[in-house]
Amino acid sequence: MNTQTIAEIEAVGKGAYVESADENRMVLNMGPVHPATHGVLRLLVELDGETVVHCKPIIGYLHTGMEKECEDQNWRSAVTIVTRMDYLAPLFNEQAYSLAVESLLGVEVPRRGQFIRTLMAEMNRLSSHLVWFGTQGLDMGAISVVFYGFREREIIIDFYEMVTGLRMNHGYIIPGGVWQDLPDGWEPVCRNIVATMRSRIDEYEELLSLNPIFLERTTGVGVLSPEDAEAAGATGPIARASGIDWDIRRDMPYEIYDELEFDVPVADAGDVYARYKVRMQEMRESCGILEQVIDQMPSGDYKSMDPKLTPPSRSELNRSMEAVIHHFKLVTQGYTVPAGEIYTAVESPRGELGVMAISDGGTSPYRLHVRDPSFVNLQALPAMATGGLVADLIASIASIDPVMGGVDR
Amino acid sequence: MDRSGLARAAAGTTSGAGFAQDADDRFEIVVQLLHDVRKERRTIHVTAPGDPPAMPSVAEVWPTADFMEREAFDLFGIRFDGHPNLTRILMPDDWEGHPLRKDYGVGKVPVEFVPQPFLQIDAPGQAPEKVEAGRDVDRLGQSGPGERVWPEEDREQA
Repeated sequence: MNTQTIAEIEAVGKGAYVESADENRMVLNMGPVHPATHGVLRLLVELDGETVVHCKPIIGYLHTGMEKECEDQNWRSAVTIVTRMDYLAPLFNEQAYSLAVESLLGVEVPRRGQFIRTLMAEMNRLSSHLVWFGTQGLDMGAISVVFYGFREREIIIDFYEMVTGLRMNHGYIIPGGVWQDLPDGWEPVCRNIVATMRSRIDEYEELLSLNPIFLERTTGVGVLSPEDAEAAGATGPIARASGIDWDIRRDMPYEIYDELEFDVPVADAGDVYARYKVRMQEMRESCGILEQVIDQMPSGDYKSMDPKLTPPSRSELNRSMEAVIHHFKLVTQGYTVPAGEIYTAVESPRGELGVMAISDGGTSPYRLHVRDPSFVNLQALPAMATGGLVADLIASIASIDPVMGGVDR
Repeated sequence: MDRSGLARAAAGTTSGAGFAQDADDRFEIVVQLLHDVRKERRTIHVTAPGDPPAMPSVAEVWPTADFMEREAFDLFGIRFDGHPNLTRILMPDDWEGHPLRKDYGVGKVPVEFVPQPFLQIDAPGQAPEKVEAGRDVDRLGQSGPGERVWPEEDREQA
């Protein structure tokens, strides 16, 4: 008779065990490859009948050493690495990283650059929440919503392609601004997206908000108390659904968020349904922010024109020796960043995305640490799952919306 | 001090940083704290002395530091005394070495334009030997200049 618990299995480093400690105990291995675990998340779950007694997330299956790799790149090219971390919200990674580098450099981004960044970031919040919306519905058995979610996401991703040239992993926001101005005709496309999204979000809510099956599967399920959320360090929609009224965009504004008007949706229930409601409302607020940004978009430079940071234009290369030298230095060596360290954070769709950058005065980061919100929010999963059913565990995972690329980095 | 507010070390980034090698202050842990009422951030720097470097854990005060300390242990090899479950989190359990240390190579091979079989890397994580191009004729199994002679039969033909 095998009497192993999670602790003992962990001690010997073994995988799945389906032997019982007493009559009703079973240790079950969920993942790492399972459609409901959203990537390569592995969970060791100890069950009493169908009730979860312990739940332990095991991560690292997607670890590719991106932080180490950044130390090998120069400051400009490390953008292409950080953008691949949280692959559903790549622009937030770039934004947090660029803000950190700019603080170290003491460079100010031109106003148009800040507006373009905010525009792209809020678009990204929409597209990221649309994936969550689809997968949350899918995991609850509402298969149609995944098609709705991905249909609208496609419109937004087409817009990214139009602006950045890529659908994902853009490398668009760079230290100093954005690497390219918005293309001609961006405004009608943006307005169309906002108008479409506004009506579609209402449509989504009609599909799910009062759907009896969805309500049954989500209300009172995966409850996270404010104390537990605080202890786990949860941020973003998960914390806000547990009654913690905290949003970096409003409380510690960066870029132009202090000039924009938006509400921070908060709910008190702390269950999966509350997280659903908070995210839906957040998408509406994002639409409002987008409208303001489109209306107020200023003209001017879209990136810092500091010759030590930005390569000269093509026409200047033809007539100025100094421009050629700057161009050569920037391409072969990159710019240096004054020694120092900085922590900057942005509000990503999943919570606080922080970048800690340390420079030794060289042309590449000495150390770059990314506090990914999914990584920290996953610690709240045991508190949500314990005492619930296995099926509710699936609902909880979907409501955390972890992106394993960000968790494992 | 209002701990409930600070407990949202939520924000807490426990980030390890490896500095100069073989100094006692080689490793430094940086803890970011956030006070959500006063809307302030505070940064705590602690050096982890010794070999292996060790320092007390803060996971009891701020449970959110659990994963972060495991990450620092995994990637830097810093021991956190009093941590409930200090195991590797990102790397496999049987991995040797701590990848984010500065003496841990990224496993890249220097690009040269002559074949250099001696530049093979045996294992990931091992820093490659630095070789300057064109200086290692002996290691290719040939003798140095001035020592090589034509074989007898060749000389007769010449």
